Amino acid sequence: MAQTLQKIYSDIDLTFNRQPGRGDLALRYDDQSVIASVRNLLLTNFYERPFQPSVGSNINGLLFENISPITASIIETEIQNVISNYEPRATISDISVTAQEDQNSFFARVTFFIGNNTTPTAVNLLLQRDR
Amino acid sequence: MGTANSNIQLADLDFQNIKSNFINYLRSQNTLKDYDYTGSALSVLLDVLAYNTQYNGFYLNMVANEMFLDTALQRSSVASQAKLLDYTPKSVICPSAVISLNVVNVQASSLTLPKYTKFLSENINGVNYTFITTEETTVNTANNSAIFNNITIKQGVPFRYNFTVDSTSNPTYVFEIPDAQIDTTTIQVSVQQTASNASYQIYSLAKDYLHLTSTSQVYFLQEGTDGYYQIYFGDGVLGNKLSDGNIVNVSYLSSQGTASAGANNFQLIDTIGGLGSAIITPISPASQGGDRESISSIKFQAPKAYSAQGRAVTKEDYITTIQQNNLGYSFDAVNVWGGEQNNPPVYGQVFVSLKPTGAYSLTDTQKQRIINEVINPISILTVKPTIVDPDYTYIKITTNVLYDPTKTNLTSSQIQGAVVTAIQNFATTTLNTFNSTFNSYDLQTAIKNTDPSIITAEFSIQLQKKFLPNLTTPTTYNLQFGVPLQRGVLLSGVNSSPALQFRDPTNLANIIDGIFIEEVPTVTYGIDHISLINPGFSYQTAPTVNILGDGTGAAAYAQMKTNGQINSIVLTNSGNNYTSAIVTITPAISDTTGQNGSATATLQGQFGTLRSYYNTANNVKTIFNTNVGTIDYTNGVVTLNSFGPINVDYPLGQLTIGVNPVSTIISSSQNKIITVDPYDPLAVVVSLSAKS
Repeated sequence: MAQTLQKIYSDIDLTFNRQPGRGDLALRYDDQSVIASVRNLLLTNFYERPFQPSVGSNINGLLFENISPITASIIETEIQNVISNYEPRATISDISVTAQEDQNSFFARVTFFIGNNTTPTAVNLLLQRDR
Repeated sequence: MGTANSNIQLADLDFQNIKSNFINYLRSQNTLKDYDYTGSALSVLLDVLAYNTQYNGFYLNMVANEMFLDTALQRSSVASQAKLLDYTPKSVICPSAVISLNVVNVQASSLTLPKYTKFLSENINGVNYTFITTEETTVNTANNSAIFNNITIKQGVPFRYNFTVDSTSNPTYVFEIPDAQIDTTTIQVSVQQTASNASYQIYSLAKDYLHLTSTSQVYFLQEGTDGYYQIYFGDGVLGNKLSDGNIVNVSYLSSQGTASAGANNFQLIDTIGGLGSAIITPISPASQGGDRESISSIKFQAPKAYSAQGRAVTKEDYITTIQQNNLGYSFDAVNVWGGEQNNPPVYGQVFVSLKPTGAYSLTDTQKQRIINEVINPISILTVKPTIVDPDYTYIKITTNVLYDPTKTNLTSSQIQGAVVTAIQNFATTTLNTFNSTFNSYDLQTAIKNTDPSIITAEFSIQLQKKFLPNLTTPTTYNLQFGVPLQRGVLLSGVNSSPALQFRDPTNLANIIDGIFIEEVPTVTYGIDHISLINPGFSYQTAPTVNILGDGTGAAAYAQMKTNGQINSIVLTNSGNNYTSAIVTITPAISDTTGQNGSATATLQGQFGTLRSYYNTANNVKTIFNTNVGTIDYTNGVVTLNSFGPINVDYPLGQLTIGVNPVSTIISSSQNKIITVDPYDPLAVVVSLSAKS
């Protein structure tokens, strides 16, 4: 009998999209679940989660600082802290934040390993303030 | 998702616990597994759910709390619960002062001091307060001057509100007075017929609902949900019902309460009959004011007022009744006890002692008003109420504090000041009321908590009585300290201050100044007297009286009646150094029938003697009177017999008698109040020693 691979991680999708064909709530599994979680943490500000003021990072606030390599370096530290504090499934291998002065934005690339998986996973984020 | 045996805890109210309950619940399924990871979408949803659950839990808890008098925190909830117990929270009470006014250059034959004439007080903590007369007074002029004696003025500003009755916009006829500083005891309500018909009726506050009829002209008073007092009227069954177009006229005084207490100098800021100046003599400073009743006080008083049911039967009834219907006086403390507890007992009387705010005792008129208007209408007919003044015992505290200067930034004088303040706060919070207890442990803790650098403190206390001696007629004074007193040794026993003046008995024109009272040092304790307990019977001759004890030399004999009983026992030698003595009565050897005689010895130690002395011009101590009174060490009573100084060397004329108590635990009962005199700079003496 064919065996389906046991899913280790499973989470709902915050977009609340339907599963194609079934109409049920779409779920995310394994790598996709961890990637969503990392993105979620990076975009969470301090004091955003009720009664857990320290969850999140100050990336939002840093976007209003000067677009410079120094700020980029601070953002790198923020990303490093939030992932190592709140996402135990991700082992960071590399974080690179590049200041794009002309576009008033930062480009962040976070590379990490999920669990014992030897293939790194990357999350790319274009950080740009919208107000 | 969930299995049949999974359950969810419902008892928690804390956000983290609610969330971990949800997580525990989710562990029982395996469709969604990321509940443990903070960044997961599931965790975000759980946060929202837990927050919502906690919010509802808190809200329901708060609603339930506010529904009961015990747990309510909001003033509106407490006032509303008190309303069910027919209790109206007390408002601010205007302090009143008494002055005499002399208006000069009056041409008319009489002069009227109008109601609401304004006076400005002296500066009290940076503010000058407005005082006003509350009634009109007319006097005849003599020699072009009008003298108004003993005019009571109250701190407050008169206000007036008019409300037009309109059953459409205000169907319940509730009129709110938007003034938190209102003194409700000064409210006067009149109802004018209509705007075009100026005739009016005076309405009074409804008190006894049993006697209300459909036409009783009464108003009711309550505290509204926003903290303002509201006036409402009858429904045509209980009290007269108003009709549309009536104009309700409410006037009252708005006062700053106790803030102006102590004001004693005033100036006229109105005119009296066109004259703008008057000579104002202060008679008594502003006192008897009160602040608005606090939430905790409402919680305390309301159930008691309800249980008294408007009658004075038990001790609590009296206390609550007096605090409720205080006639505009304000009391820091009220104590009531039955006359059977007095020594000697006085049956059929109930004793009330009142400590007024900002004063030591009530005037006789005030006492009579309390008895006639507050107590008598609701007390049991056969019980006679008596108001007695509080009997103040002052504690003088001398303390030596050891501190470590390396553990504080404060200077020694700052520490000294802080300790004095701590002791005064201790006195304010634990003493200064009836039925209080001074104990050394609490005082020591208060001193030690002043500053972390304080290592330990030792202290000694002296009890003092202060009174104004009669300077014209020699009077006997019994100063009841109520605690056993130490037998004095030379120079440290009972003492008095300040110096007194007496007439020299050998030459009445000669006045001797600088007289003090001291305890005669007692070095021997003999037998003072022997009291017969049982005269016995059938004694043929006088029996032998033996005195057994730890002293020596006491001797006595029995005096006989003719019927074979002992008449009395005569002490022939009081002996020395007795601290206990037993009297035995033995029939003479030849006496075969005499028996049962018994007696008890009272040791001299119970009583000490007071004498007065002065120092001559050459500083030689001279005894003025060898016996001015006695000290009962056991019962703590100092008696001054026929004490007749002609002056006290102190502007206020107050004499202080100090004694040393045996124990540092001092309790008060009945009308006794223990306090530390806030006006005596020597009441708390602190000396510091630094740890080396």
